Amino acid sequence: MVDTGIVGRELGTVRFPVERSKLAELARSFGSTDPLWSDHDAAAEAGFDDIPVPPTVTVLADLWREHGALDGAVRLGLDLARLLHGEASWTMLRPIRCGDELTARSSVLDVAERVGNRGESMTLVTIETGFTNQHGDSVATRRDVVIETAGPTGKEQS
Amino acid sequence: MTVAGSKIPVAPVPMAEGDSMAEHEFGPLTRTHIVRYAGASGDFNPVHHDEEFAKEAGLPGVFGIGMMHAGILGQRLAAWVGPENVRSFSLRFTGQVWPGDVLTFRGVVTGVESAESADPVARIDLTVTRQGGGCVLTAAATARVAPAGDVPAGDR
Repeated sequence: MVDTGIVGRELGTVRFPVERSKLAELARSFGSTDPLWSDHDAAAEAGFDDIPVPPTVTVLADLWREHGALDGAVRLGLDLARLLHGEASWTMLRPIRCGDELTARSSVLDVAERVGNRGESMTLVTIETGFTNQHGDSVATRRDVVIETAGPTGKEQS
Repeated sequence: MTVAGSKIPVAPVPMAEGDSMAEHEFGPLTRTHIVRYAGASGDFNPVHHDEEFAKEAGLPGVFGIGMMHAGILGQRLAAWVGPENVRSFSLRFTGQVWPGDVLTFRGVVTGVESAESADPVARIDLTVTRQGGGCVLTAAATARVAPAGDVPAGDR
Protein backbone atom coordinates (compact mmCIF):
# COMPACT_ATOMS: atom_id res chain seq x y z
CA MET A 1 0.00 0.00 0.00
CA VAL A 2 1.25 3.42 -0.95
CA ASP A 3 0.93 6.51 1.22
CA THR A 4 -1.68 8.87 -0.29
CA GLY A 5 0.49 11.73 0.97
CA ILE A 6 2.61 11.37 -2.17
CA VAL A 7 0.07 13.29 -4.30
CA GLY A 8 1.79 16.35 -5.71
CA ARG A 9 5.26 14.95 -5.13
CA GLU A 10 7.80 15.92 -7.80
CA LEU A 11 9.53 12.86 -9.21
CA GLY A 12 12.43 14.70 -10.71
CA THR A 13 13.70 15.89 -14.05
CA VAL A 14 15.32 13.79 -16.76
CA ARG A 15 17.02 15.05 -19.92
CA PHE A 16 16.86 12.81 -22.95
CA PRO A 17 18.59 13.30 -26.32
CA VAL A 18 16.48 11.93 -29.19
CA GLU A 19 19.25 10.21 -31.11
CA ARG A 20 19.25 8.32 -34.39
CA SER A 21 20.82 5.15 -33.01
CA LYS A 22 18.20 4.96 -30.24
CA LEU A 23 15.42 5.52 -32.80
CA ALA A 24 16.91 2.77 -35.00
CA GLU A 25 16.99 0.36 -32.04
CA LEU A 26 13.40 1.22 -31.18
CA ALA A 27 12.17 0.78 -34.77
CA ARG A 28 13.97 -2.57 -34.99
CA SER A 29 12.35 -3.74 -31.74
CA PHE A 30 8.96 -2.86 -33.27
CA GLY A 31 9.78 -5.07 -36.26
CA SER A 32 9.71 -2.12 -38.65
CA THR A 33 11.86 -2.17 -41.77
CA ASP A 34 10.83 1.28 -43.06
CA PRO A 35 14.06 3.37 -43.22
CA LEU A 36 12.06 6.52 -42.47
CA TRP A 37 12.31 5.85 -38.72
CA SER A 38 16.11 5.94 -38.62
CA ASP A 39 17.58 7.32 -41.87
CA HIS A 40 18.06 11.04 -42.59
CA ASP A 41 17.96 10.53 -46.38
CA ALA A 42 14.76 8.49 -46.25
CA ALA A 43 13.13 11.11 -44.03
CA ALA A 44 14.21 13.94 -46.33
CA GLU A 45 13.01 12.06 -49.40
CA ALA A 46 9.62 11.53 -47.75
CA GLY A 47 9.41 15.29 -47.11
CA PHE A 48 10.21 15.44 -43.39
CA ASP A 49 12.51 18.11 -41.91
CA ASP A 50 14.22 15.35 -39.93
CA ILE A 51 13.60 11.76 -38.83
CA PRO A 52 10.14 11.63 -37.20
CA VAL A 53 9.42 9.65 -34.04
CA PRO A 54 6.68 7.18 -33.09
CA PRO A 55 4.10 8.48 -30.56
CA THR A 56 5.44 6.47 -27.60
CA VAL A 57 9.05 7.67 -27.94
CA THR A 58 8.83 9.74 -24.74
CA VAL A 59 8.72 6.49 -22.76
CA LEU A 60 12.44 6.19 -23.45
CA ALA A 61 13.14 9.41 -21.56
CA ASP A 62 12.00 8.06 -18.21
CA LEU A 63 13.73 4.69 -18.45
CA TRP A 64 17.06 5.34 -20.07
CA ARG A 65 19.12 6.07 -16.98
CA GLU A 66 19.16 5.71 -13.21
CA HIS A 67 16.47 7.61 -11.33
CA GLY A 68 14.02 7.03 -14.17
CA ALA A 69 10.43 5.87 -13.82
CA LEU A 70 11.12 2.40 -12.42
CA ASP A 71 13.39 3.81 -9.75
CA GLY A 72 10.75 6.45 -9.08
CA ALA A 73 8.14 3.72 -8.62
CA VAL A 74 10.36 1.89 -6.13
CA ARG A 75 11.07 5.11 -4.24
CA LEU A 76 7.31 5.70 -3.97
CA GLY A 77 7.09 2.34 -2.19
CA LEU A 78 5.63 0.35 -5.10
CA ASP A 79 6.55 -3.34 -5.41
CA LEU A 80 7.91 -4.11 -8.92
CA ALA A 81 6.75 -7.75 -8.74
CA ARG A 82 3.14 -6.58 -8.27
CA LEU A 83 3.27 -3.58 -10.60
CA LEU A 84 1.29 -3.26 -13.84
CA HIS A 85 1.14 -0.39 -16.29
CA GLY A 86 -2.60 0.25 -16.53
CA GLU A 87 -2.99 3.26 -18.81
CA ALA A 88 -0.99 5.84 -20.71
CA SER A 89 -2.20 8.88 -22.60
CA TRP A 90 -0.30 11.45 -24.60
CA THR A 91 -1.22 14.91 -25.79
CA MET A 92 1.08 15.96 -28.64
CA LEU A 93 1.72 19.69 -28.75
CA ARG A 94 4.58 19.98 -31.24
CA PRO A 95 6.47 17.47 -33.38
CA ILE A 96 9.43 15.74 -31.73
CA ARG A 97 12.28 14.98 -34.13
CA CYS A 98 15.62 13.26 -34.16
CA GLY A 99 18.19 15.67 -32.71
CA ASP A 100 15.86 17.17 -30.11
CA GLU A 101 16.90 17.26 -26.48
CA LEU A 102 13.89 16.66 -24.24
CA THR A 103 13.48 17.56 -20.60
CA ALA A 104 10.88 15.49 -18.75
CA ARG A 105 9.38 16.62 -15.44
CA SER A 106 7.13 14.18 -13.55
CA SER A 107 4.90 14.45 -10.54
CA VAL A 108 2.27 12.34 -8.80
CA LEU A 109 -1.19 13.53 -9.87
CA ASP A 110 -3.39 11.10 -7.93
CA VAL A 111 -3.41 8.01 -5.73
CA ALA A 112 -6.54 5.85 -5.44
CA GLU A 113 -7.48 2.56 -3.86
CA ARG A 114 -9.75 0.26 -5.84
CA VAL A 115 -11.30 -3.12 -5.10
CA GLY A 116 -10.72 -5.67 -7.86
CA ASN A 117 -13.05 -8.38 -9.21
CA ARG A 118 -12.04 -10.87 -6.55
CA GLY A 119 -12.35 -8.42 -3.67
CA GLU A 120 -8.62 -7.71 -3.58
CA SER A 121 -7.32 -4.21 -2.96
CA MET A 122 -5.32 -2.39 -5.66
CA THR A 123 -3.52 0.93 -5.58
CA LEU A 124 -3.66 3.17 -8.67
CA VAL A 125 -1.02 5.88 -8.97
CA THR A 126 -1.38 8.52 -11.71
CA ILE A 127 1.82 10.21 -12.80
CA GLU A 128 1.93 13.24 -15.11
CA THR A 129 5.01 14.08 -17.14
CA GLY A 130 5.57 17.22 -19.17
CA PHE A 131 8.15 17.24 -21.97
CA THR A 132 9.87 20.34 -23.30
CA ASN A 133 12.45 20.56 -26.07
CA GLN A 134 15.79 22.37 -26.27
CA HIS A 135 13.99 25.59 -27.28
CA GLY A 136 11.87 25.51 -24.13
CA ASP A 137 8.72 24.61 -26.10
CA SER A 138 6.26 22.14 -24.58
CA VAL A 139 6.11 19.22 -27.00
CA ALA A 140 3.97 16.67 -25.14
CA THR A 141 2.34 15.72 -21.89
CA ARG A 142 1.73 12.17 -20.75
CA ARG A 143 -0.32 10.63 -17.97
CA ASP A 144 0.42 7.13 -16.75
CA VAL A 145 -1.61 5.01 -14.39
CA VAL A 146 0.44 2.33 -12.65
CA ILE A 147 -1.36 -0.33 -10.64
CA GLU A 148 0.07 -2.15 -7.65
CA THR A 149 -1.96 -5.35 -7.50
CA ALA A 150 -2.70 -7.38 -4.37
CA GLY A 151 -0.94 -10.48 -5.67
CA PRO A 152 1.46 -11.46 -8.42
CA THR A 153 0.69 -9.96 -11.82
CA GLY A 154 -0.82 -12.27 -14.42
CA LYS A 155 -1.84 -15.04 -11.99
CA GLU A 156 -5.16 -15.46 -13.75
CA GLN A 157 -3.60 -15.97 -17.18
CA SER A 158 -1.13 -18.54 -18.33
CA MET B 1 22.52 2.94 -52.62
CA THR B 2 19.01 4.22 -53.16
CA VAL B 3 16.55 4.35 -50.32
CA ALA B 4 13.16 2.86 -51.02
CA GLY B 5 10.62 5.70 -50.90
CA SER B 6 8.53 5.75 -47.74
CA LYS B 7 4.76 6.00 -48.10
CA ILE B 8 4.41 7.54 -44.64
CA PRO B 9 2.66 10.90 -45.05
CA VAL B 10 3.90 14.29 -43.87
CA ALA B 11 0.75 16.37 -44.48
CA PRO B 12 -2.69 15.39 -43.13
CA VAL B 13 -4.43 12.81 -45.34
CA PRO B 14 -8.16 12.61 -46.20
CA MET B 15 -10.08 10.27 -43.88
CA ALA B 16 -13.72 9.40 -43.33
CA GLU B 17 -15.71 7.50 -40.76
CA GLY B 18 -15.23 3.77 -41.26
CA ASP B 19 -11.77 4.01 -42.83
CA SER B 20 -9.49 1.39 -41.34
CA MET B 21 -5.77 0.98 -40.76
CA ALA B 22 -4.04 -1.83 -42.65
CA GLU B 23 -4.23 -4.82 -40.31
CA HIS B 24 -0.82 -5.77 -38.91
CA GLU B 25 0.42 -8.95 -37.24
CA PHE B 26 3.43 -9.43 -34.94
CA GLY B 27 4.71 -12.71 -33.59
CA PRO B 28 4.89 -15.37 -32.39
CA LEU B 29 6.42 -13.27 -29.60
CA THR B 30 9.81 -14.57 -28.45
CA ARG B 31 11.89 -13.77 -25.38
CA THR B 32 14.36 -12.21 -27.82
CA HIS B 33 11.65 -9.76 -29.01
CA ILE B 34 10.99 -8.83 -25.37
CA VAL B 35 14.67 -8.37 -24.54
CA ARG B 36 15.25 -6.34 -27.72
CA TYR B 37 12.53 -3.91 -26.66
CA ALA B 38 13.80 -3.92 -23.06
CA GLY B 39 17.19 -2.80 -24.39
CA ALA B 40 15.74 -0.23 -26.77
CA SER B 41 13.45 1.27 -24.14
CA GLY B 42 15.49 0.76 -20.99
CA ASP B 43 12.67 -1.15 -19.27
CA PHE B 44 14.60 -3.69 -17.22
CA ASN B 45 11.85 -4.73 -14.85
CA PRO B 46 12.98 -8.36 -14.27
CA VAL B 47 9.42 -9.73 -14.61
CA HIS B 48 9.96 -9.30 -18.38
CA HIS B 49 13.30 -11.10 -18.79
CA ASP B 50 14.26 -13.03 -15.64
CA GLU B 51 12.39 -16.36 -15.62
CA GLU B 52 13.43 -17.17 -12.03
CA PHE B 53 12.37 -13.75 -10.74
CA ALA B 54 9.02 -14.07 -12.54
CA LYS B 55 8.33 -17.54 -11.12
CA GLU B 56 9.33 -16.48 -7.61
CA ALA B 57 6.83 -13.64 -7.99
CA GLY B 58 4.14 -16.26 -8.66
CA LEU B 59 3.94 -15.80 -12.42
CA PRO B 60 3.95 -18.64 -14.96
CA GLY B 61 7.06 -17.02 -16.46
CA VAL B 62 8.17 -13.79 -18.08
CA PHE B 63 5.54 -11.77 -19.95
CA GLY B 64 5.62 -9.14 -22.68
CA ILE B 65 6.21 -5.43 -22.05
CA GLY B 66 2.96 -3.52 -22.55
CA MET B 67 4.74 -0.50 -23.98
CA MET B 68 6.22 -2.70 -26.70
CA HIS B 69 2.88 -3.60 -28.31
CA ALA B 70 1.60 -0.12 -27.41
CA GLY B 71 4.62 1.24 -29.26
CA ILE B 72 4.07 -0.96 -32.30
CA LEU B 73 0.44 0.19 -32.38
CA GLY B 74 1.52 3.82 -32.08
CA GLN B 75 4.03 3.42 -34.88
CA ARG B 76 1.38 1.80 -37.15
CA LEU B 77 -0.99 4.67 -36.33
CA ALA B 78 1.74 7.21 -37.12
CA ALA B 79 2.56 5.46 -40.40
CA TRP B 80 -1.13 5.65 -41.37
CA VAL B 81 -2.05 9.25 -40.41
CA GLY B 82 1.48 10.75 -40.54
CA PRO B 83 3.69 10.92 -37.43
CA GLU B 84 3.36 14.68 -37.08
CA ASN B 85 -0.45 14.63 -37.38
CA VAL B 86 -1.11 12.56 -34.24
CA ARG B 87 -2.76 14.90 -31.72
CA SER B 88 -3.42 12.46 -28.88
CA PHE B 89 -2.98 8.78 -28.12
CA SER B 90 -4.58 7.16 -25.05
CA LEU B 91 -4.36 3.51 -24.21
CA ARG B 92 -5.49 1.07 -21.59
CA PHE B 93 -3.88 -2.30 -21.03
CA THR B 94 -6.60 -4.94 -20.66
CA GLY B 95 -4.55 -8.13 -20.58
CA GLN B 96 -1.06 -9.51 -20.59
CA VAL B 97 0.98 -10.83 -23.49
CA TRP B 98 3.03 -14.02 -23.26
CA PRO B 99 5.84 -15.63 -25.26
CA GLY B 100 4.33 -17.47 -28.22
CA ASP B 101 1.51 -14.96 -28.69
CA VAL B 102 0.64 -13.66 -32.15
CA LEU B 103 -0.67 -10.10 -31.88
CA THR B 104 -2.99 -8.33 -34.32
CA PHE B 105 -3.11 -4.53 -34.58
CA ARG B 106 -6.25 -2.79 -35.86
CA GLY B 107 -7.61 0.74 -36.08
CA VAL B 108 -10.76 2.38 -37.46
CA VAL B 109 -11.95 5.97 -37.86
CA THR B 110 -15.08 6.45 -35.73
CA GLY B 111 -15.75 10.02 -36.82
CA VAL B 112 -14.28 13.24 -38.15
CA GLU B 113 -14.80 16.43 -36.15
CA SER B 114 -15.11 19.75 -37.95
CA ALA B 115 -15.04 17.85 -41.24
CA GLU B 116 -15.97 20.99 -43.18
CA SER B 117 -13.37 23.17 -41.48
CA ALA B 118 -9.82 23.87 -42.55
CA ASP B 119 -8.43 21.75 -39.71
CA PRO B 120 -10.52 18.59 -39.22
CA VAL B 121 -9.59 15.97 -36.64
CA ALA B 122 -10.34 12.24 -36.93
CA ARG B 123 -11.23 10.12 -33.92
CA ILE B 124 -9.70 6.67 -34.18
CA ASP B 125 -10.29 3.54 -32.07
CA LEU B 126 -7.52 0.95 -31.99
CA THR B 127 -6.98 -2.49 -30.49
CA VAL B 128 -4.30 -5.12 -30.00
CA THR B 129 -5.61 -8.68 -29.75
CA ARG B 130 -3.99 -12.05 -29.09
CA GLN B 131 -4.57 -15.16 -31.18
CA GLY B 132 -8.07 -16.40 -30.32
CA GLY B 133 -9.35 -12.83 -30.07
CA GLY B 134 -8.53 -11.80 -26.49
CA CYS B 135 -8.01 -8.05 -26.34
CA VAL B 136 -4.84 -6.91 -24.54
CA LEU B 137 -4.98 -3.20 -25.32
CA THR B 138 -7.62 -0.67 -26.33
CA ALA B 139 -6.68 2.80 -27.51
CA ALA B 140 -8.22 6.02 -28.75
CA ALA B 141 -6.38 8.57 -30.84
CA THR B 142 -7.06 11.85 -32.56
CA ALA B 143 -5.25 12.98 -35.69
CA ARG B 144 -5.29 15.97 -38.02
CA VAL B 145 -6.72 14.98 -41.38
CA ALA B 146 -7.13 16.77 -44.69
CA PRO B 147 -10.30 18.84 -45.17
CA ALA B 148 -13.17 16.99 -46.89
CA GLY B 149 -13.04 17.35 -50.67
CA ASP B 150 -9.55 18.76 -50.35
CA VAL B 151 -8.37 20.23 -53.61
CA PRO B 152 -4.91 21.47 -54.52
CA ALA B 153 -4.28 24.89 -52.97
CA GLY B 154 -3.88 26.52 -56.39
CA ASP B 155 -7.47 25.65 -57.37
CA ARG B 156 -9.10 27.57 -54.50
